[in-house]
Amino acid sequence: MSGRLRLVAVALSVAGIAVSVYLTVVHFIGFAPACPTTGPINCETVLTSKYAVLAGTSIPTSALGVVWFTVSAVFWIGGWRRAINWWSGAGLAFALALVFVEIGVLGAICLWCTAAHLLVLTLFLIALTEHSRQRGAY
Amino acid sequence: MSSRRAQPARKDAAQRGKAVARKPVAGTPRWVAPTAVLAGIALLIVVFLIYRWYTTPLPPPPPSQDTTAQVLQILENIPKSDLDAVGQGTANNLIKPVSGSALVGPGGKPEVFYLGAEYCPYCAAERWPMVIALSRFGTFSGLTLTTSSSTDIYPNTVTLTFRSAKYTSQYIEFVAVETTDRDQKPLQSPTTEQQQLVQKYDSAGSIPFVDFANKYAFDGAMYKPDVISGMSWLSAAESLQSPDSAQAKAILGSANLITAAICKSIGDQPADVCSSTTIQNLEKTLK
Repeated sequence: MSGRLRLVAVALSVAGIAVSVYLTVVHFIGFAPACPTTGPINCETVLTSKYAVLAGTSIPTSALGVVWFTVSAVFWIGGWRRAINWWSGAGLAFALALVFVEIGVLGAICLWCTAAHLLVLTLFLIALTEHSRQRGAY
Repeated sequence: MSSRRAQPARKDAAQRGKAVARKPVAGTPRWVAPTAVLAGIALLIVVFLIYRWYTTPLPPPPPSQDTTAQVLQILENIPKSDLDAVGQGTANNLIKPVSGSALVGPGGKPEVFYLGAEYCPYCAAERWPMVIALSRFGTFSGLTLTTSSSTDIYPNTVTLTFRSAKYTSQYIEFVAVETTDRDQKPLQSPTTEQQQLVQKYDSAGSIPFVDFANKYAFDGAMYKPDVISGMSWLSAAESLQSPDSAQAKAILGSANLITAAICKSIGDQPADVCSSTTIQNLEKTLK
């Protein structure tokens, strides 16, 4: 496993933890995140929707982000390839589901959420590149 | 003899095998998989956008004068029993106390000031309860029907506009500024004093902004515009005639909160509006 890519992946996971913690704190304290509130880019619309919490609970979806990025960082530090691949794939699938909710259902994009989604995507691409390299692709 | 011949043959095969293992394998280039993933995601996002476009309600056909009259007839005559039955309903109480010199209208009566814009879906949502509440203290003329922007969130939310509205009341004055039309073209501009008011009590500049005689103020909508998403003006208005409907709970609940703020700002008059148990209870929730 490339040491440099692993370092980048850990750094991205830490950045993801920071973004997710920010969104979780915003949820519990109740203040509006730094984000436009008019037009299609509207964090408030997304973060106050029913999809911003886990169904039937008051746990914000961003708390899942904290867990996901933390586990991701641990996997990358440990260099557990198989776990990284599965975890990255599951993360990307969940992020895509949330993007569908934003675009298809709510018609609004949350910039902070998008930052987290892009981090998930980048981590997935790094995992995929590593996977290809290990399998002998050039 | 034969075993002696076989040994060098096995050795050769082993060497050939090693040579084959060492030979670089021409696999798929490493950039192909990430590029394919990115292309797939881009395609998915296009699909999401098409789904959104397909499920976005179209703007209702322009309202006839009859429709406007029917809608206003309903809004201005919501039975007190229905308003009392709903109470706060599902409305979110955004009203906060403010302190400042009393806001007085041009005629010397306490002023309710509204700042919004026709494109804004939250303003669209909030005008329904504003009209209902203010109609309990006076009379509107010049209200017309419109929808919020087709391209913003909660597109084409049906609403009324204050752009040409006149309001008369023996208790309060109502001053409204709609800054842009539904296409975000400039419409009306707030005065310097009104701008200062907004800066003082709504520093984030959120709309709608409503000031009740400088005693109470709020910004934003007390309910989500999707409550009336896809409805026509008339169906939205008619839904208010059933206090159990989601629309009545949101809109009449908001109207009751606005009524309570007005009552508390002007000394609980008129009594037939302000002395009801519902309004008195809601007034207690306003600090």
